Amino acid sequence: MKVWILIFFVLIANQANSQLKNQRCFVCHGVKNFGIVEQGKFKSLYVSREDFEASVHSKFACVSCHVDVRVIPHLTKPRKIHCLQCHFEGNVVGAPVTAKPEKYKESVHAKAVAKGKNAPDCKDCHTVHYVRKPEDPNSSVYKTRVPELCGGCHQTIKEEYYNSIHWAGIKRGELSSAVCSDCHREHDILPPEDPRSSLNPKNVIGTCDKCHSDVKLMKRVGVPVTNPEAYKESFHGIALKFGVVKAANCASCHGYHDVLPSRDPRSPIHPANLAKTCGKCHPRANENVAKGKFHVLPGEKESGIVYYVYTFFKWFTLIVLIGLFTHIVLDLVGHIRRKRKKASE
Amino acid sequence: MMDPKKEAERLIKEVEAEEGVTLDAEFREKLKNEIAEKIRSEIERKRKEIKRKVEEEEEYFVRFSLNVRLQHLTLAVGVILLIITGLPIKFHESKIAELFFDLIGGIQVSRILHRIGAGLLIFVSIWHTLYIAFTKEGRNEFKELLPRKKDFLDFWQNIKYMLGKTNERPKYGRYSYIEKFDYWAVYWGMVIMVFSGLILWFHNFFLGIFPKFVFDIAKEAHSDEAMLATLAIVIWHWYNAHFNPHVFPFNPTIFTGKISKERMLREHPLEYEKIMKEKLSREGKSDER
Repeated sequence: MKVWILIFFVLIANQANSQLKNQRCFVCHGVKNFGIVEQGKFKSLYVSREDFEASVHSKFACVSCHVDVRVIPHLTKPRKIHCLQCHFEGNVVGAPVTAKPEKYKESVHAKAVAKGKNAPDCKDCHTVHYVRKPEDPNSSVYKTRVPELCGGCHQTIKEEYYNSIHWAGIKRGELSSAVCSDCHREHDILPPEDPRSSLNPKNVIGTCDKCHSDVKLMKRVGVPVTNPEAYKESFHGIALKFGVVKAANCASCHGYHDVLPSRDPRSPIHPANLAKTCGKCHPRANENVAKGKFHVLPGEKESGIVYYVYTFFKWFTLIVLIGLFTHIVLDLVGHIRRKRKKASE
Repeated sequence: MMDPKKEAERLIKEVEAEEGVTLDAEFREKLKNEIAEKIRSEIERKRKEIKRKVEEEEEYFVRFSLNVRLQHLTLAVGVILLIITGLPIKFHESKIAELFFDLIGGIQVSRILHRIGAGLLIFVSIWHTLYIAFTKEGRNEFKELLPRKKDFLDFWQNIKYMLGKTNERPKYGRYSYIEKFDYWAVYWGMVIMVFSGLILWFHNFFLGIFPKFVFDIAKEAHSDEAMLATLAIVIWHWYNAHFNPHVFPFNPTIFTGKISKERMLREHPLEYEKIMKEKLSREGKSDER
């Protein structure tokens, strides 16, 4: 008991200490229009104290990261700091270490940064002073805010996405609906040409499948859950599985950023648009392609005539084979019986 | 069995005793080997001659013409090619399918092989149609293969025979009901496989003609009938042509065209009778002349 009380006081004291120190920083940096003019442009140096204190780093002193600030007010510009300053394997400040920075290094963003292009690294998505847990609705990387975040740079794609059924789902409060990071992943965003990419033609099915094979979720949002399974049984699915990359995958017909259900006239899979969609690969496709069901599973009654063809063959095969098999067995047994009889005579 | 060396030894000893001399050991050994060798080769020659005579004397009938044999061979090669390249698509989830496509050089190679098999199948079906339409032999064979009332009676008789209720085997003519069943089953399979296969093969052409559900039906029928045909071939046809104790391990008639008198009498007694009658009447006619 005594020990716990002691630890409690030490923590309080510590917090008080860091807050006290941070207090001194906020004397200037806590003023909303605090800033400097750099290269003819006003640069804000304001840090919202309220937001900082709600962040995962609230317990830390400003100077724990800005280590080169020793006297306040500081006269020189502090050096740029990086997240990996603390978030490295074996750090003593207790900063969580994950594989995410390593994954990021493989991504298109890191490669662009390495080439000196303007591309995001940690702080561009996670912010500098207001890092919150992704589950926190106020976090910059909270699910509903991801499209806005990525759309900061990818503006046309953001507009396309805002037309999609996935965004409509998010707006309706269905948080399982897909945002950018659900398909593109978060840290290891790779170009589609990369065989490891979640967007590589061979992996697209797995990417969509993650949610579209989830029975509970699909029931909740009213989307047929057997579609990925039926796709895998189709010629497109089989060809793709064995390396024919030009075979249609989910995105080839459904589109991707602006994916819409078939009832929407803007959708490439709306019956009126199917001829054009199929025609991308099958030049003679006309309105015939809309006459029939898609993602047909022969064993399901909903498949209509295909189900009856399947059922006919199932029973026909069974009856024929039982007949043939019986004939064989009778023939063999008869043969053995006669042989024995002959031997005993 | 006689040992040629011992026999040579005996002969030499006999001569020595008769003449009262003993030959030099070296010469004796050489002589013995030479005599033994002569005896051995003579025995071998004689044996071969006997075997050939037996073969020549055994009576054979020509059951299938070269035309029919080649039709069967083409069909068999086509079907085997189709089965081994088709099954991995039906059972694409299995490890064997993956292994097969790796082995053969990818699914695209397999597709080409499947179409070669399909080509053989279509070719043989046209060939057979022309054969039964335009050749006398073909028309006769076709007539022999038409189902008759007798086939149902034979079937009933055979069931009784297999069950041991009677000792009388049904007397088949040129084709038994089993062979007729096989023949007509191929028609059913061909019609379904060729039509559905062509729709799938030339889907880009047919897309302009048929509604989408026709392709779904074609795919389902192609896949299901393929399974039925494969099982029928592996279980039924292989039993009748390979594993049946009467023919095990292999009935070569469809490849050689020949059938022995013994099998002819057992399996096609009515045809045998017919052939003999024809032969007799022919001989009678030539005698009259």
